[in-house]
Amino acid sequence: MREARLSFERLSWICGCLALALAPDLGRLPVWILATAAAAMAIRLSLAALGRDSLPRTLRILLALCAVAALFLQFRTFNGITAGTALLALVAGLKLLETRTRRDVCVVALIVYFLCLAALLVGSSFWLLAYLIGVCWLTTATLLRVTVASASPEWRASLRYSGKVLLHAVPIALALWLFFPRFAEPLWRVAGDDQSAVSGLGDAMSPGDITELVLSDRIAFRVHFGGAPPPPEERYWRGPVLHEFDGRTWRRGEPDFGAAPALIPAGPEYRYDISLERQRYNWLYLLEWPMQWNLPRGLLTGDYMVVLPAAAGRAIDVSATSVTHAQSSGLLGDARRRRDTRLPQGSNPRTVALAHRLRADHPAALDFIAAVLSKFRTEEFFYTLTPPPLGADSADDFLFDTKRGFCGHYASAFAVLMRAAGIPARIVTGYFGGSYNPYADHWIVRQSDAHAWTEVWVEGRGWMRVDPTAAIAPTRIDRSVRDAQNAVGVFGIEAVGHLPWIADLRLRLDALRELWRARILQYDQDSQQTVLAHLMIPDPDARKLIIVLASALSLVLAWLTWQVRGELTARPADSLSRSYARLCAKLAARGLPRRPHEGAETYAARIAQSRPELGLVVRALCRQYNELRYGPGHSSGEAARFAAAVRAFTPRDSRGS
Amino acid sequence: MRLRQSATRKLRAWTARRFGVDTLPHQINRRRIYILPSRHGLALAALIIAMLIGALNYNSNLGLAFAFLMVGVALVAMHHCHRNLLGLVVDVDPEADGFEGSQVHLNFAFYNPSALDRFDIEIHCADLGTAARSIRAGSRAQLGVDVPAVRRGVLRLSQFELRTRYPFGWFRAWTYVQAPLLAYIYPRPMGDHRLPASAAAQGTATSAEQRGEEEFAGLRTYSPGIPLKHMAWKVLARGGEAAVRHYAGDVMEPEWLDWDALDGIAPEARLSQLCAWVVDAEAEQRRYGMRLPQLELRPARGAAHRSACLRALATYPAGPD
Repeated sequence: MREARLSFERLSWICGCLALALAPDLGRLPVWILATAAAAMAIRLSLAALGRDSLPRTLRILLALCAVAALFLQFRTFNGITAGTALLALVAGLKLLETRTRRDVCVVALIVYFLCLAALLVGSSFWLLAYLIGVCWLTTATLLRVTVASASPEWRASLRYSGKVLLHAVPIALALWLFFPRFAEPLWRVAGDDQSAVSGLGDAMSPGDITELVLSDRIAFRVHFGGAPPPPEERYWRGPVLHEFDGRTWRRGEPDFGAAPALIPAGPEYRYDISLERQRYNWLYLLEWPMQWNLPRGLLTGDYMVVLPAAAGRAIDVSATSVTHAQSSGLLGDARRRRDTRLPQGSNPRTVALAHRLRADHPAALDFIAAVLSKFRTEEFFYTLTPPPLGADSADDFLFDTKRGFCGHYASAFAVLMRAAGIPARIVTGYFGGSYNPYADHWIVRQSDAHAWTEVWVEGRGWMRVDPTAAIAPTRIDRSVRDAQNAVGVFGIEAVGHLPWIADLRLRLDALRELWRARILQYDQDSQQTVLAHLMIPDPDARKLIIVLASALSLVLAWLTWQVRGELTARPADSLSRSYARLCAKLAARGLPRRPHEGAETYAARIAQSRPELGLVVRALCRQYNELRYGPGHSSGEAARFAAAVRAFTPRDSRGS
Repeated sequence: MRLRQSATRKLRAWTARRFGVDTLPHQINRRRIYILPSRHGLALAALIIAMLIGALNYNSNLGLAFAFLMVGVALVAMHHCHRNLLGLVVDVDPEADGFEGSQVHLNFAFYNPSALDRFDIEIHCADLGTAARSIRAGSRAQLGVDVPAVRRGVLRLSQFELRTRYPFGWFRAWTYVQAPLLAYIYPRPMGDHRLPASAAAQGTATSAEQRGEEEFAGLRTYSPGIPLKHMAWKVLARGGEAAVRHYAGDVMEPEWLDWDALDGIAPEARLSQLCAWVVDAEAEQRRYGMRLPQLELRPARGAAHRSACLRALATYPAGPD
């Protein structure tokens, strides 16, 4: 094959495409990989600018070996998105170093396409998709410029052409996307990718932990209630339950798969659909107390968590029902009682002493709880998101010294007091509240709604929810909560979040985001069946899906063929030419075709000679055409009048009159 | 590779049987355009399959959307590749000439009657390809293929192929045009035998200047080979038939290039010698005739006469060697 040397300009375009395709990986890939790719581009471009082709072969091989070895040292695997993307980035960079021919550019272009896909496997926003389609567009234009050997299309023409190719590809993509069968389960799991998640509650809590979450504006889940939502003070979204305490940190401990004490509903039932964002752990967040959920694999644990066998690794939608008031019946087993009253030996001595003192004054459990809560309420306890640090005996430090903290501190200190007094207590973490979005009719629960509260076992009453944070007097809630939240948004729209129209805009955006998530990101087997049902196809199943896919594709391809062939025949660009062509066609149908060399005047003169009865009209029309065409410019109204005149004109057969 | 060659051969034979001989100029019909992915196209297919598997595996609807977009791009590219040949009008000089040892230049002409530019059209003929060529919308273009003239004789080509890889090089579309092409390969002009004296002496032409003073003797009908300056243009302009002025003193005796004059030389060498004589005679604007066994070409001159003589030499049956 004849291979011309690549021009600097073309090389820089393909380098640009590669750089753009790697841009979403900034911050995800190790810096040295991106730096290597950038350096490879810089070297190749400067070589091209100097008129040289590429580095010596031995040097290239050496570089490749070094890069692959370094990559392996970094990741210990080539499997998984991050390692795979890193490998592709390095390969693309090295390939650029030896790029001399059109063929090499084609290879780099393929790598760029794949990098776009890899970025989409990680990200999921609309803007990312739009951006990467843009990159694909540029790459395709570059590929066109590089592969056309006989002419050198202008950049603008290449971009227009490849844009058109992409536009024509959209219906095909749409048909495939709508009807291509989806699998419920991944084909195989790739190890080591789930860590790339996602903030959220963990299976351990130190009093200070929740601060990071509260400062995060990320959405944890969205909820749509089938009927009226529960009152605000009852919107506790139950997450991991923590049992083990080491003096400072609460941990979940061994999952409790024993039977949960039966719940006796004592209030209305709420039906809702909850869409959980991707998270690292395998539990669901459901409204307390969960009664039913439509995930057959979701198990209820002994402490009323609903857990999946493994983390879903993606967003999940659940329909569930819950009651906000319920009583757990039966007795607490010995093992559970032991677990939920255990405190580490000798830790938090002052708190233990306080518990013993209070318990002596209030022998009844409910009285004791009330006494503790009133202590929180009446003494100088403050709620703040910026509390002073605590020592090893966190409850002692908090209750007697700092007296400043937030939900984690209060829940932890409260649970320690309960346990010290022999009352079984545990920490429940989850979310509280949520904000309503009227545009999407759902409630948004963000990471900033993360919360921790406690549950105590009271004989005869079962597990009771006690939220000690709620006992703090509102006047002692530190204004810096608000300030801390504002601090998050210095670079976002948060800082002006109190402006009503900004808040409104955020809600609208959220509604769009939810639409995007529900309709696009979560489109699955069930959604396909719904689409088929909308198409009036009875009993949709996989086989019918394939038939629909095949027919949709045939339709689209027929349209494409028609479209592509249609472009071969020219259509006069402006309305004036079209009208004139119509006039000529009408006359030609009467056996008076215009000869190719005839101008409008000559043509009209010839017709006037052979068919005097038509002459007058045709002459007038042709003169009008000439005036419009060659005159000092015409308005669209004049062109439209001419078009109407041509339409009205019907040449009669001379024999007929 | 061999599989591909034999498949190509079979396809060519089948097209020849199925569609017969095409009339020239030939407009390319959509039923006759074949298309297959190129090596890059196969790489793209593998890439798209990898994309699909990746997206399905990660349950990424956006990834799937992107992979499907690439499927769409590939399908559109396929249609565009096919369209790049569709409706193109191709013509070729059915006869071409060349001397043994040099090249026969096959001259193809394209017309693109459509509203779209065509890019990267190649012609492949007798296992030879041309550089790619673009043809703008509504315009014409010429493309030549130089076939090496290996042996004296007539090279018969029954078919040529138009190919394109436009746009992106992912597909290769091609079509076969059945057009009998004759490439006359003249003998190599060689040999240092002089013309036999009897023919040569009288054959030296009197120059035009000398003849200019001669007496005008009337008009004769034009026959190819007579110099244009003898044309009676006025007669032609009046609408009469082409005529030439005839001069009384035009007594130039033609020279005969005679096979028999080269007795005792091998037949191919004789042909080479005759070829050299024809080339020389024409270059010196002499009138010459040629005698071969069973063939006599009456004396004349001009390109057509030269080519008739040379073609006679090219088609002269090869000896029993």
